[in-house]
Amino acid sequence: MSTDTTETKVAPKRGMSILFSLTLLGLLLFLWLLLGFATNSFWTPNNISNLLRQGSMTAILAVGQTFVIITAGIDLSVGAVVGFASVILAWLLAAGLPVWLAIILTLLMGVAIGSFHAFGIVRMGLPAFIITLATLTSLRGIGLLITNGSTISISNDAFTDFARADFLGVPSLFWMVIVVAVPAYVFLHLSRWGRYLFAVGSNSEAARLSGVNVNRTIYMAYILSSTCAAFVGILLASRIGIGNATQAEGWELQAIASSVIGGTSLFGAVGSVQGPLLGAFILATINNGANLMNVNSFWQRIITGALIILIVYFDQLRRRGSR
Amino acid sequence: MTSLHDVSHRHDNQPELRETDRIPPGTPILELVGLQKKYGAVEALKPATITFLAGEIHAIVGENGAGKSTLIKLLTGVIPRTSGEIRWCGKNVALATPNEAINRGINAVHQEVVLCAHLTVAANMFLGDEISSGGIMRQRAMTTAAQNVLDDLGFNLPAGEILGNLTIGQQQLVATARAAMRGIRFLIFDEPTAYLTRQESAQLFRLIRRLQSEGVTIVYISHRMEEVFELADRVSVLRDGTHVGTRLIGETNDAELIALMINRSIEQIYHKEKLPIGETILETKGLSGPGFSDVSLSVRSGEIVGLYGLIGAGRSEFALGLYGRHKCSAGEVFWDGKKVVIDTERKAMDLGIALAPESRRDQGLCLNLPIGLNINLPVFGRLSRGLTISRKLEADNADKQIDDLMIKTPTRAVLASAMSGGNQQKIVIGKWLSHGARLFIFDEPTVGVDVGTKAEIYRLFAELLKQGAGIILISSYLPEVDELADRLHVFRQGRLVASHDYRSASHEDVLTEAIGV
Repeated sequence: MSTDTTETKVAPKRGMSILFSLTLLGLLLFLWLLLGFATNSFWTPNNISNLLRQGSMTAILAVGQTFVIITAGIDLSVGAVVGFASVILAWLLAAGLPVWLAIILTLLMGVAIGSFHAFGIVRMGLPAFIITLATLTSLRGIGLLITNGSTISISNDAFTDFARADFLGVPSLFWMVIVVAVPAYVFLHLSRWGRYLFAVGSNSEAARLSGVNVNRTIYMAYILSSTCAAFVGILLASRIGIGNATQAEGWELQAIASSVIGGTSLFGAVGSVQGPLLGAFILATINNGANLMNVNSFWQRIITGALIILIVYFDQLRRRGSR
Repeated sequence: MTSLHDVSHRHDNQPELRETDRIPPGTPILELVGLQKKYGAVEALKPATITFLAGEIHAIVGENGAGKSTLIKLLTGVIPRTSGEIRWCGKNVALATPNEAINRGINAVHQEVVLCAHLTVAANMFLGDEISSGGIMRQRAMTTAAQNVLDDLGFNLPAGEILGNLTIGQQQLVATARAAMRGIRFLIFDEPTAYLTRQESAQLFRLIRRLQSEGVTIVYISHRMEEVFELADRVSVLRDGTHVGTRLIGETNDAELIALMINRSIEQIYHKEKLPIGETILETKGLSGPGFSDVSLSVRSGEIVGLYGLIGAGRSEFALGLYGRHKCSAGEVFWDGKKVVIDTERKAMDLGIALAPESRRDQGLCLNLPIGLNINLPVFGRLSRGLTISRKLEADNADKQIDDLMIKTPTRAVLASAMSGGNQQKIVIGKWLSHGARLFIFDEPTVGVDVGTKAEIYRLFAELLKQGAGIILISSYLPEVDELADRLHVFRQGRLVASHDYRSASHEDVLTEAIGV
């Protein structure tokens, strides 16, 4: 046998990725067990649905973010888009539009923001980091201009009840994760457009010469990310009952961290849908657990940071080991 | 002759030569005794006993996957050995880390340039041991010293230039100069001429001979037989991880080496059948674009059209322009006699043009993705049923190409980066075979590919021609285009400067036209 086959790196795609997901799932369950023993209040229905609500919004953001990161890009604007979308939605509702129309228009605004990002990257040749950083700050500004620095209250009770409601005993927000994750899984893992995302992230020139429409693929990734963010903005508006441009501060980092904890490579071409979902709920569990155990919230931030380093480091070790 | 270390004014950083007594030329400097490397149960290198003599140029030949890269990695301390001994100057050594190898004066120049493209030539040459005083780098001193080394080597290269602005060939010369500067006793070249033009190769050969005259032992790995015969004193052959023999260069020939390498005789590597030539498929009239201008040529079914020229002569640029990757500024393209405008890659593919590009690494493959995905990339549309890809069609299509082309891999899920050069080239070709086309453009298809794979690729050309396709073959290797092309066009500085029918021009004439003297 020759060296060709000896130094074989089997794709971490299916087998490894399932193994990795199981490891993350194991970690999540371990954390839950641990908190169950350490606190009295963790396994109460109230806390569990609270935990699911906390994690759901990050999870949806992280899925959108993952599409972008797989193309070797980054979307720093998602937190700002969430805040901005809550403002737009509240504003449209205040203007007397029906809820369904306001939701559609808010989602379309997400599409527009994503298109703008892709335009900057594809046509103007700007790095993704820069163009999304620019919208991060300007969207907050525009949102504050619209609200004149204050908040817009939402008086539609049917809308604000949605986030507090349960369906089949599970918080409706968590159902929204499933509503996003199932099509996202089909898109990323089963459709050709998902393959194109990986190909563009791995080598965009090779993808282009193979007939992949690279520009369209980049548009797709950023539109999906911003639309997911706008969707989360709608959910947030429902949960807190107001539109406020300064909401969701730092959520972009939560989303990126969830994605990376879930095995997405910031160099592109490696990632899944289930990974970021688990990543988001691991982060949410840690925050929730820290609250229950009365850990100082300053410490929570430090622990989260350390955990990101630890998990990604072990993932790196695993990748190197499989080589 | 001044030694290279004097020129670079760098006595402080010379390797510590623990073996103070110099090894007289012609006596063993490095001996491998039963050296073996296993990856799990697989023997990448079966126990090999090879002796390298001080001051010799020792060529190593073998097909891809024969164990050459394993051997280099063992000698440069990149991987640990499984068993066996390595004797350096008569003493057993560990060679456990790259640093140990470098400290003993063992160095390697790799096929792919691993330097910083954004730094200057001088900065790259001094990378790691910059000249500084009081913590401040002495840029000018380094540039002067680097320039002295380059001039002294006879490389016509500016030390102050940004490395990325040089051609790949020139970058490789910089890498060689960098290694030469570091006080070496044993230097391994891994396919150094793969990306070099003829002049650059000549410069490199002069450098190698010069290093030899200074007592450096050279290991030279190459697929090109004529280089082995031009340079080497002795040659060792590896096959499937086995060292099958070492010969004095004067006592062997092409045929024997090839027979040793592949254990079967290739009467004719260049497989050329006389096939009937059919209708014109493609014709360009005065096509101009970035890097090429006023190119008029035609390709008929059953025909190989060779494009020869030095690297940067505009052949690849022409191919990319024709394929819709770059915008053509003037001229016309006719497909089956009808005027067409090809402004996207997709349009070219839909017409029936396939392009296997020049650089597998940069343009051909998604290296960190599976082989299967790479092969299927152009045809996922065809493999989809509704919204989703059919798992079965996807698997069947990839496996068919892997089987047909004999790509050496256990499964289609292996990453493309794990494959050797020859197998990577087969993946690129398989991608286009599965897509299907009537005009295949192959840009340097045999660079870094071993003899056996080369023969397979040439045979494949004949297959395609029989099915009525036309081929544009871009190559910097004159014997290749000369033997295979029914019509040969010579490019120089972006223009088509001469055309010849099959074997109607001498090598000297074609070369003169390409260089333009």
